[in-house]
Amino acid sequence: MNNTVKKYLPLFPVLAGYFLLFLVGKNMEGKWQLIAMLAFYCAVGQAFNLFMGMTGYVDFGYVAFLGVGTYGMAIAISRWSDQGLGLGLLVIGLLMAIGMATLLSLAVGAVALRLRGAYFAIATIGVNEGFRYLIEGARLWNGSEGIIFTAQLNTAFGRDFANVLSTYWADVALFFIAPFAAFLTLCFLRSRIGYALTAIRTDEDAAKVMGINVTRYKIIAFIVSASLAGMIGAVSWALKLTYVFPPDVFAISYTIEAIIIVLLGGAGTLLGPIVGGLIYGLSKYYLAVILPGFQLLIFAPIIIVIIVLFPEGTVGVLKKRVQGTAWEKIIV
Amino acid sequence: MSERMPLLKLENVTKRFGGLVAVDGVSLEVRHGEVIAIVGPNGAGKTTLFNVINGVVFPDGGKIYFEGKDITTLPVYKRAPLGIGRTFQIPRPFGSASVRENIAIGGMFGTQGHMMSVDQSMEMADRYIGLIGLKGHSDKPAGSLTPTEKKLVEIARALAMKPKLLLMDEAMAGMNPKDIDRMVQLIKEIRDTEKLAIVAMVEHIMRAVAGLAERVMVMHQGAKLVDEPTMEALSDPRVIEVYLGHPPEGHLADR
Repeated sequence: MNNTVKKYLPLFPVLAGYFLLFLVGKNMEGKWQLIAMLAFYCAVGQAFNLFMGMTGYVDFGYVAFLGVGTYGMAIAISRWSDQGLGLGLLVIGLLMAIGMATLLSLAVGAVALRLRGAYFAIATIGVNEGFRYLIEGARLWNGSEGIIFTAQLNTAFGRDFANVLSTYWADVALFFIAPFAAFLTLCFLRSRIGYALTAIRTDEDAAKVMGINVTRYKIIAFIVSASLAGMIGAVSWALKLTYVFPPDVFAISYTIEAIIIVLLGGAGTLLGPIVGGLIYGLSKYYLAVILPGFQLLIFAPIIIVIIVLFPEGTVGVLKKRVQGTAWEKIIV
Repeated sequence: MSERMPLLKLENVTKRFGGLVAVDGVSLEVRHGEVIAIVGPNGAGKTTLFNVINGVVFPDGGKIYFEGKDITTLPVYKRAPLGIGRTFQIPRPFGSASVRENIAIGGMFGTQGHMMSVDQSMEMADRYIGLIGLKGHSDKPAGSLTPTEKKLVEIARALAMKPKLLLMDEAMAGMNPKDIDRMVQLIKEIRDTEKLAIVAMVEHIMRAVAGLAERVMVMHQGAKLVDEPTMEALSDPRVIEVYLGHPPEGHLADR
């Protein structure tokens, strides 16, 4: 087996997982919404894992990157829908989403990433809330009235395509973004960035002594993770809903969900986010069906139990099990 | 590079923590390839001196030169690429990473780091695993090793950085005499094959000092007490008085 194949072998279970998920959604009557939700959770987990899983830092303001990504796409479509850009408009929207998420992460990271542990977490809560109130208070991007761009989307792409775009392609895009995030995770894991981040996660001071510029590597992980979040916001919030309101996109509950997904799956593992995303999404969905209204009450203790019993997450435990066997090369 | 220029030079280095003067005007020169022991009782300022050389803390006064370059306020992570490696008193390997990965990380970010790929670092790690005699443990997570093995991994990790100066913080504390002799042997081997200077910090284990160092600097209450060739230093009456106290008959004889 040649080396490149060997190197990227662990991607196959991830790709197979997303492909299977897509097939199920395509072929099972009435399950597309569920599958889209699962894909969303997996994608967010995959993107968040690149930062939280790799560095061990918990960013409670993570949803802000999805939020500004949503705004990026919304602004692009509402401003330039009549320019006859065609699909180029989507590219511009996506680039704006990435650009805005990157800028925000650079600004936040340059300051907050000098803090550690709980201090970093607390500082980032402020970022999310602060950004929301900035938009509302300063009437930035239409303030609390938000941006509704359903009409502009219709102008730009025609009613039929706009409809397919938000009900189908916005979800399908996740099946590209999530594997892309997984691919980046593997690139990280296999390169000096990954080793630097492993060192930082276990002992930041020792990492510095080893010659690792810890701030630089943390910021790299932060920016990459944030720009992926921006892309997810742009497609599965902006394109899908065709509107954006500050309280919807800067809701801390999404951050909490992302943290749970990463922990359930196994922080810093390649397979973790898809496993965690599926466990979380499915149990949330079916608990809501079986015991409507009580799902959170039951869900919380289940999560606590899982995290206490398996602090390394499902994939973390699995990885230990397969150590020394042939599976070791695939389950990463 | 001139051979006469000292590898490391401390000029009147002082470090205070509030009212406590942890390092008090210490000057020291380390030449290429030299092995120096810094000894002194607990609280003498050895660790702080190491932290100052290493850049973990910056001195309040004095200058530090490495190969003639002023590094007094150079950030800690920029010192490893210059050639300053370090091991800790309580070993701090990256527990979740394997032994091989731990050592390879040293290679990736050390003096040769910029021209080494991940694969090359792994190959180099294997060589050092051989040197420290942990061949069977390459793929084990470093966190699962015994304390002595962790210490060995840490030494190998520091060596993989290809340093010109290796700071060893209590490499032999808590070891039995047999392990100490083995460690001394290893350090000698390192000195001869790796061509680096070693500054080792030692609290009580005099047999290690005698077997290893060419020169001894004794610290007492933050200041330098003596800086002499090993035998003279260990028999210096001032050292015996402040550091060794009053040894029973024959105590020094068995070193």
